[in-house]
Amino acid sequence: MPKFEQSYRVLQHSANADVRSLSAYRSKGGYSALEKALRELSPEQVNQQVIDAKLRGRGGAGRLTGEKWRITRQSEDDQKYVICNAYDADSRSLAARTLLEQNPHQVIEGILLAAYAVGASEAYLFTRSTSAAAHAAVQQAVQEAVEANLVGRDILSTDFSCTISVLGAEMGFMGGEETVQMALIKGRRGMPEQRPPFPAQYGLWICKTTAINSVETLVNVPYIVREGAAAFASVGSAMTGGTKLLTVYASPTSEPQVVEVPFGATLRDILDHAGLSTAANAAGAVVVGGAEGGALPLSALDTAYDFDPLEEAGVIVGSGIIELLPVDTCMVSWAMGQSAYLTKESCGKCVPCRLGVKRITGILEGIVSDLGVSGDLDVLDEFADYVPNGSLCGFGVQATNPLKTAKRYWPEHFTTHIQEQRCPTGTCVPVRAHRFVTKHVLP
Amino acid sequence: MAISIRDNFSPAAQASQPPMVRNDVGHPSFTLTIDGKTMQAYQGQTILSVAIDNGISDIPNLCNDEKLEPTSACRMCLVHIEGAERPLPSCNTPAEPGMVVATNSDELFHLRRTNLEMMLSDHNAYCQPPCQVDCPTHIDIPGYLELIAQGEMKEAARLVKEVLPFPFTLGLTCPAPCQKACRRTLVDEEIAICRMHGHAAETCLLDPPLPYVQDPPTGKKVAVIGGGPSGLTAAYYLALRGHYCKVFDMQPQAGGMLRYGIPEYRLPKDMMDREFQQLWDMGIDFQANVKLGRDFTLDDLFAQGFDAIYLAIGCWTSNDLRVPGEDAEGVVNAIRYLGDKVEGKPVPVKSGDEVIVIGGGFTAFDCTRTSLRLGADVHTMYRRGRTEMGATTEEVEDGEAEGTHLQLYVSQTRVITEDGRATGVEFQRNKLGEPDASGRRRPVPVPGSEFILNCDTVIPAIGQAVDTRVLDDASGIKWTKWKTIQTNPHNFMTDREGVFAGGDCQMGAKTIIEGVAQGKLNARSIHSYLMGEDMNEVSRRLELEERRPDLFDIVPYKPVEPKVKMPMLPYEKREKSFALIEMGYLKEQAQREAARCLQCACPAAGQCDLQKYSIEHGLADNRFHDGEPSDYHDYDTDLSHSFILRDPNKCINCTQCVRVCHDVIGPDCYGMFGKGFDTIVSTPFNVSLHDTDCVSCGACVQVCPTGSLMMAERSLSRYSFALDRCIFCGDCVEVCPHGALGETPNFELSFFNRFGEDVTLEKNDLANAPNYLVRQRLPRGKKDLPVMSPLVRPLPARSIRD
Repeated sequence: MPKFEQSYRVLQHSANADVRSLSAYRSKGGYSALEKALRELSPEQVNQQVIDAKLRGRGGAGRLTGEKWRITRQSEDDQKYVICNAYDADSRSLAARTLLEQNPHQVIEGILLAAYAVGASEAYLFTRSTSAAAHAAVQQAVQEAVEANLVGRDILSTDFSCTISVLGAEMGFMGGEETVQMALIKGRRGMPEQRPPFPAQYGLWICKTTAINSVETLVNVPYIVREGAAAFASVGSAMTGGTKLLTVYASPTSEPQVVEVPFGATLRDILDHAGLSTAANAAGAVVVGGAEGGALPLSALDTAYDFDPLEEAGVIVGSGIIELLPVDTCMVSWAMGQSAYLTKESCGKCVPCRLGVKRITGILEGIVSDLGVSGDLDVLDEFADYVPNGSLCGFGVQATNPLKTAKRYWPEHFTTHIQEQRCPTGTCVPVRAHRFVTKHVLP
Repeated sequence: MAISIRDNFSPAAQASQPPMVRNDVGHPSFTLTIDGKTMQAYQGQTILSVAIDNGISDIPNLCNDEKLEPTSACRMCLVHIEGAERPLPSCNTPAEPGMVVATNSDELFHLRRTNLEMMLSDHNAYCQPPCQVDCPTHIDIPGYLELIAQGEMKEAARLVKEVLPFPFTLGLTCPAPCQKACRRTLVDEEIAICRMHGHAAETCLLDPPLPYVQDPPTGKKVAVIGGGPSGLTAAYYLALRGHYCKVFDMQPQAGGMLRYGIPEYRLPKDMMDREFQQLWDMGIDFQANVKLGRDFTLDDLFAQGFDAIYLAIGCWTSNDLRVPGEDAEGVVNAIRYLGDKVEGKPVPVKSGDEVIVIGGGFTAFDCTRTSLRLGADVHTMYRRGRTEMGATTEEVEDGEAEGTHLQLYVSQTRVITEDGRATGVEFQRNKLGEPDASGRRRPVPVPGSEFILNCDTVIPAIGQAVDTRVLDDASGIKWTKWKTIQTNPHNFMTDREGVFAGGDCQMGAKTIIEGVAQGKLNARSIHSYLMGEDMNEVSRRLELEERRPDLFDIVPYKPVEPKVKMPMLPYEKREKSFALIEMGYLKEQAQREAARCLQCACPAAGQCDLQKYSIEHGLADNRFHDGEPSDYHDYDTDLSHSFILRDPNKCINCTQCVRVCHDVIGPDCYGMFGKGFDTIVSTPFNVSLHDTDCVSCGACVQVCPTGSLMMAERSLSRYSFALDRCIFCGDCVEVCPHGALGETPNFELSFFNRFGEDVTLEKNDLANAPNYLVRQRLPRGKKDLPVMSPLVRPLPARSIRD
């Protein structure tokens, strides 16, 4: 049984200590990193430490945070912004709201350090308005910090100033996309923008450069500044330093739990740590990455949880959800369900995502209803490439992961439905009466 | 957390860039490579604008406009950029020094085509009505069907009469090429398009509407030779134009082949005469029993003061069988046989006779069914198969049901005679060989398969030809090698000035509707000739109008609605009876049938980018038909605004209207609403545009790449303008969002002479001021719009029924 508790960095054990109040957080050494940075380090040095620590974006893209900051800092704009993305795109992920509820001051300290490193004087914290407790906790913490001269003008009597605005919104899945958040801050409809240009080059308001980071990324920065890059990188894989918050579900309907694990741990160890070793052996599949993630068979449980090994297996870090599916799950039906959910959550801006995912869902519904033909599999393969290649933002790029992994690891579920017109696990019920047909429509 | 993005473009620090070069006005520029060509670009340009500036115009895009911020929603302008893993939209990607871009590849083509297929799969609309295109006269079919569905029978008849003077007659006799093209077959069955206008005209046969108000007399005189469908049509439209027309015919009554070639059971002649009565009421004269070449010549007519002559003499000579014995008694001329029957003269067929009809066209079946009604035992012999027959399937099936013995793949080899009388015909069986020039497969005789069929009468009906003896060389008319009258192919003038020809005598024996179409075109050509227009220009114009447009179908979700069948006379009542076999629709039946029309008409057809790109990308099929209702959208149209008509069913969510209204004009009337698949561009809460801040500028219509936003017809001919009070402040120029007003060096404010043609606004001293700048107009058209063929008249937008 791995002892991941020892490497907990950002998640505090409730029994261990309550650091929600400013005094409790300061008594544990809170805000010492900020003080150290403001009084002893230049912004370049803070940035360099983050680069050295190999801190990668926890939002899923896995870019080096320090590099992103460097580009923002080197921009010639006089006004720069920091946005903390504390919005759980997948409503089943609890990572951001847990952090905000349990450790809000470390988030604020991380935002301030980021602002110091990139030279920003305004920061936004974007959260999901429906998680009321998290929202209240972070509002309370910001208020405390403002009163203690940790946020606002001339922080800690230095010439560094930074304000933090907390924004809550309910935008469904798309609210987690960084350009959607910038659009919402600007008061526009929440739809992503094409990248490049990246926010680091062309961001908030009138093209001001903006460093937008996940809350989980920023919350690690105080530790790096306080303890040094080497100490931070001592936990994690060679590729990715540090830990990751995961929301683990024993079954699609069970109560979730949040755990913090070092990068590079295997899926089996993670499930053991969450106390699900016996449940894992009885499961049918493990879904890694949440709504846009893929499903892996149990034989893949020894995959290391890190960006590249997961991508090779066909799944993603995504929203940091690990979920076990019951052994009698029909994977065609599962992929159909995921695809139907994503159809509803798409912002509707670009064609491949708005219509492509809908048509994939329709074809999968046909197969589940035993109306499929073998040609459908070729069409699905075509669209599994078309949607990621054509889509505008990461949502579309990842939207076919459920389909792709289901076809890759469980092809027999598809062929049983199509050739024998029955469900391999006997669980599917027909959902449509008409399959799509091709009609010749030329002059 | 954030949505995960594992796309591989990381915001890496830009490598050391080659130095910027400044051009002659100091703008920093650099070079990049697009499609292997090195191009100069300026800082801040997108790849798309660099490509367009350098003559690469084939990057498709549906959501970009030069005056709008790019949004890259349509994903049509994707290009490959070296170093990027995914294709990127060129409309939004900044050009960078040293970039290597490819704008075309198989992968991009398929991506773009799939994009278009996706858009079409939820594009609940049509482009152009193929029925209207396939109809030789191009009747506004969706238009009159809509009117019939609303019960407006007389108005429907009027609309048809704009291009077809005899809707009742044609409603009974037309082979209906429109119905073969009907797109309703993709849903269930075609619509009874042809019988519909027959019904509409029947309701007002005694009080027929005129399509237009007749023009006052022009004093010009036109002689029409031949009173058949083509000649009468030309006379009709020429008379409407105010010209005096006189029709000369060799038969005792008007109608030509309509009267003498079509049996009574298909077309009651008394009803036809009622429809013709409108012609005589319009002042057209008719002279019967005079024949060209026998009683008068072309020179006689010109000498009588006619300004133009229309030759529509038809095809009245039956083709020879070209077998021995065809001169024998008992071998009957098909045309004369049908004509004699109509006139009530004795015919050589009587009850109990054995009759052989040779041929597979309309005339063959008219002879067959006439002989059947006379009580004969009829054998219809055709040398090819059913699909190659000239007659319609209904005609053939009816003939068989009425009792003819149809034999296919047989050729006559000789007529067997006894004492100069035909007693039988020897046939030989055929198999089909290679296709011939007409595209039909050539019959090849099978040796040794000869057989003999005994008979009393043989009626060869294997085609007709023009009687070339009526015009001698002195007439100045030349003949083609097919022995038809030679004319200009578009303006139909013969080699003799002022003499036009059309109908069967110009094109060879064809259908009635084609004759009518030629009569209509000839009337326009003759009118232009009489008005002194350049005939080359007329030819060019008519050619353009008749050019077949590019069609594109989409088959949206529509509920199945069975066809209302035409009530027919039962077969047992047809024996020895020449009663009309089509009993006609009741009004309710006609309305129900007309309401099945899908209204395949989009006013934007021909100017629609979605249509253009779909054709360019060869989209032959769409894989998403016939799904569940939830797979498609069926929105209500908003026709409440006076100038701007919205049909969200055609919207592709490009958001150009949203951006132009918000960013360029300002009122911000549109937005994107809904989420996921149900996202749609609309007004807030989908209210009428009247209830928004809309200023009716029409900029949204201008940018709309499809027909989703259309301008309603409006007539703004002239504003009242107090010239003496204008202080040339230029405010009007400033605020007009449409760029309709502008300043020019001589300070003419109006681009379109909206103040009237005589008003020129000048202020020379201002124009000569040293700091004067010609104001940049707003870019008007986003692209070079293709010239729309006016063949299909753009229809006013109508509400779309379910």
